[in-house]
Amino acid sequence: MSRIGVFICHCGENISRTVDVEQVAAQAALMPGVAFATDYKYMCSDPGQNLVKNAIAEHRLTHVVVAACSPRMHERTFRKAVEQAGLNPFLCEMANIREHCSWVHEDRAEATGKAIEIVGMLVERVKKNRVLPTITVPVTKRALVIGGGIAGIQAALDIADCGHQVVLVEREPSIGGHMAQLSETFPTLDCSQCIMTPKMVDVANHPNITLHTYSEIEQVDGYIGNFQITVRKKARSVNEHKCTGCGVCMTKCPQKKIPNSFDCDRGMRTAIYVPFPQAVPNVPVIDRENCTMFKSGKCGVCQKVCGPGAVDFEQEDQLIVEPVGAIVVATGFELYRITEKPKGSPIKGYGEFGHGKIPDVIDGMTFERLASASGPTGGKILRPSDGKEPKQVVFIQCVGSRSREKGISYCSKVCCMYTAKHTMLYHHKVHDGQAYVFFMDARVPGKSYDEFWRRAIEDEEAVYIRGMVSRLYQKGDKIVVMGSDISVGVQVEIEADLVVLATAVQPQQGADLLAQKLGISYDKYNFYSEAHAKLRPVECATAGIYLAGACQGPKDIPDTVSQASAAAAKVMTLFAKDKLEREPIVARVKENGCVGCFACKKVCAYGAVEEKEIRDRQGNLIKVVAYVNPGVCAGCGTCQATCPSKSVELDGYTDEQIVAMIEAL
Amino acid sequence: MTQTIDISSYSTITDAIRSEARRILSDSTVSAVIGYTAGRRKGSTQPIVITTADDADQLIFTAACLNDLVVYLTKAKKDVPKSGRIGIVVKGCDLKALVGLLGESQLKRENLYLIGIPCSGVLGSLLKPSAELTTETIASKCCECSDQLPVGCDFVPTVTPAPLPDLEKRYANEIARLEAMTPSERWEFWKEQFSKCIKCYACRQVCPFCFCEQCLCDRNRPQMVEQTPRPSGNTAWHLVRAMHLAGRCAGCAECERVCPMDIPLNLLNRKMAKELKELFNSEAGFEVRDTGPLTSYREDDDQSFIR
Amino acid sequence: MHVDKQKHTFEPKIIAFVCTWCTYAGADLAGTSRMQYPSNVRVLKFPCTGRIDPVFIIKAFQQGADGILISGCHPGDCHYIAGNYHARRRFAAFRKLLEFIGVDLNRIQFSWVSAAEGGKWVEVVTDLTERVRAMGPMVEFKDLVLEEQWSGNLNNPELQAVYEAM
Repeated sequence: MSRIGVFICHCGENISRTVDVEQVAAQAALMPGVAFATDYKYMCSDPGQNLVKNAIAEHRLTHVVVAACSPRMHERTFRKAVEQAGLNPFLCEMANIREHCSWVHEDRAEATGKAIEIVGMLVERVKKNRVLPTITVPVTKRALVIGGGIAGIQAALDIADCGHQVVLVEREPSIGGHMAQLSETFPTLDCSQCIMTPKMVDVANHPNITLHTYSEIEQVDGYIGNFQITVRKKARSVNEHKCTGCGVCMTKCPQKKIPNSFDCDRGMRTAIYVPFPQAVPNVPVIDRENCTMFKSGKCGVCQKVCGPGAVDFEQEDQLIVEPVGAIVVATGFELYRITEKPKGSPIKGYGEFGHGKIPDVIDGMTFERLASASGPTGGKILRPSDGKEPKQVVFIQCVGSRSREKGISYCSKVCCMYTAKHTMLYHHKVHDGQAYVFFMDARVPGKSYDEFWRRAIEDEEAVYIRGMVSRLYQKGDKIVVMGSDISVGVQVEIEADLVVLATAVQPQQGADLLAQKLGISYDKYNFYSEAHAKLRPVECATAGIYLAGACQGPKDIPDTVSQASAAAAKVMTLFAKDKLEREPIVARVKENGCVGCFACKKVCAYGAVEEKEIRDRQGNLIKVVAYVNPGVCAGCGTCQATCPSKSVELDGYTDEQIVAMIEAL
Repeated sequence: MTQTIDISSYSTITDAIRSEARRILSDSTVSAVIGYTAGRRKGSTQPIVITTADDADQLIFTAACLNDLVVYLTKAKKDVPKSGRIGIVVKGCDLKALVGLLGESQLKRENLYLIGIPCSGVLGSLLKPSAELTTETIASKCCECSDQLPVGCDFVPTVTPAPLPDLEKRYANEIARLEAMTPSERWEFWKEQFSKCIKCYACRQVCPFCFCEQCLCDRNRPQMVEQTPRPSGNTAWHLVRAMHLAGRCAGCAECERVCPMDIPLNLLNRKMAKELKELFNSEAGFEVRDTGPLTSYREDDDQSFIR
Repeated sequence: MHVDKQKHTFEPKIIAFVCTWCTYAGADLAGTSRMQYPSNVRVLKFPCTGRIDPVFIIKAFQQGADGILISGCHPGDCHYIAGNYHARRRFAAFRKLLEFIGVDLNRIQFSWVSAAEGGKWVEVVTDLTERVRAMGPMVEFKDLVLEEQWSGNLNNPELQAVYEAM
């Protein structure tokens, strides 16, 4: 006979405001099997948890139901408390009477009635809960980092410095990401490449880091502690081991007029190229779409001039399988491409700003390249159309961001600061120029950030106009910017030589596809979702996968680096133990009932179901049944719903438990 | 107008089965052959397992050979030798069930010797086993059969079955009739049908796909389906059965034939088969499939019913 | 903000079978956002829609559910890779069966509600509750439960004909 304890939480007033908690406790006490029921102001607090623990001892409770917030919030807390009191943690269930009841219903009688029913359901369920022993699985102490921007680099270095092996996978031919493209960084105006390139070199030289550039994640198998990653190393057409990085091939390549995406298509590169001089690895790659050899079969100049014989036109994509125990996803961002609307995107375009049509309307990253000493103009601010130095530059903030009607409602976070930085860089380079900024409001919290922004206005003479731009159009060699200054309530018209748009930060294209391979969730913009917005900000809901940087949401460099180190710390925490303890919510086969039709095996997305032979003592085969590998099983229960005889059962969600709840209705 | 169906080939088929059974038993290709033999009542037939070539002459094939013998390979194995390859006589519909069992790892092809029947149809009922096979007396499943010639057997008598006359598609018509009803009319129809059920489980016993060692409906912890023959439990039982057979049932219609209460059980199975064909373009056939329509998916499956 | 609540004569019992990762979290979000919806719904949490067995739906109807909601992650978002795809097929088939035996499909709602769609959860639950309220109680399965005795008649003409033929 079960002796169930029911604990009703007031959650301050969050629950008790609409739910009569005393009545719920009184009703719960009358439910069959309930030995003790009480209510308390904050059940999750220390005294609240002690109340639960003491009641277990005092009333010899066998099962516990905590009626409080969502189990997604505090199930762990209470299961831990119950465990400390000597009960198996899986004999504790939570009844969600906050998110699913008190917060969504106003009528006190109705909410109270519903709360009693919810508690009743969980009381019936918990009676059928079984003691579940924790599962331990071995941990491969090797990490995968996806993305070689500053986030991935930081995470990889931290983990590698701790003594663990790291596999770093980067889609582009070089690591460095967007930070390598930046000219100078706020709020200190130090040169981005000066602080970035040493870290890139550290990665290249680190004995614990295996670097796969020009590579993508092909397939992800396995589970926390035991992932198998298939990496597609795209054909570089240059042998990485033979190449010395002398660069002769690039100087001799006859194809010299290919827009370099690293320079936002402002500069030109050859068909065999490194994206920028400080690239890591310093090994060129042949752009097969533009290479004459690949297009017509006639050229091969690079191969002829290459001393070490590293150029290899025959090279093919390679699939490499890397066993790892943890994954850090650091795929970063891209800027909202104002001219093109990605297929299927819910985000509406911004045709009125003429980006893509008017050559002198550029985005923030292009301005970074113009301002960069290693950029296409050698650091001179020259406008794209005629190469002249612009004397009036208009910066427009919140292009794409914070526009619900256009499809992006979030703030891109970095634009206020980088636009302020742009006005300063411009003022430093063009002393007689004037910068104007159209902005909605300045969002500049952060260490030394507000001071920086004030400096742009007060010392560097940028003119900030509070208001949005309604229209841009070309007039002669000028761009007429029509906007409003809402602080004084007048229409403003500026004849600009150059317009810079602070376009929204978006996840990389294909972020959703990678998420699907990894089995992690993402929001409607394709930013990856953390397990908990406040308390688990670097973990994914999928165990063993962690997030770093702008793939999770817009972030500046300090935030990105902090999160990368945090993700690395999480990985190191996982690697601190040789064996990982797993929640025992896994499927189990009842071998006496199984007839081996393997419907379970067919529907298992994890390949957790194996075939097992049952033999008698003489070794004669009696039958072949299914076996679920508890280390691989993720606990979805699709097998059980598929099994006709229910000979496979998901612990924690057994038919008994579910039917008990239905029957309690 | 009632029309006689030409089954003159059945005597040739009988001869061919006998000689093939004799051959495979005498050269030890198989250890037994499962087939049909004459029953005690005139014209009736019953299943038989023969293990010697001398018994081959007991085998027959007539329009009264209704049974799906495939159950003797899985559940009713009492008289079947435990070792050696087994020969079995299969009609097209039986073969589709057998192929389904191959796909569900219940049988191994190399352990079987399949003697296929070029079938012109069988009787709908054994109440009058010596009745003439006509457009009236023919089994409903045969009216909609498109697989008279079994494919992939080890031996098929070389006769071409006479083409069937135009037959009323009884299941399709009945499904259409029910579909045209209002939900409450349909509920009344099935309520009456299911209320007849006495839970004898003959349907389960005879079904080649009900091979579970412990049926979900016999379980007590928890009791998923009420076991007493009362309307609620009956309805649940037939729904569960239809669902478990969906995408697997090959349409041998044995459940309907053996039902002592004449519940139109195959109607449910045909309806599910029709829906799965329309939804997922999947139906039982002669080719062994790794996965069935409900153990696989496509990312672009229809979801117009999901909000 | 406080609207006078309309009192109804019939309060339908709505049972929601949801996956824990998307729809349960979406319902949590509706709570965190303090959205309001009818209190008729009772939520049963599953790890994944792939775990939801059609038998549970039958059980729920027998237990007096007037409306049923089955909801999980959007295609491609399944926490368990493909559980929702399997569920989608399973319930595509099962609803056809229910329809065929005479269950009004307006009583069963299938939906994808992500962890970010608190508003959609509220809409889905409210719409289903109001729709089922307008339809009135689901009596079919309940009536069957109440019918104590086997209703077949042992000496009906059909059976008689069978005996005589034997």
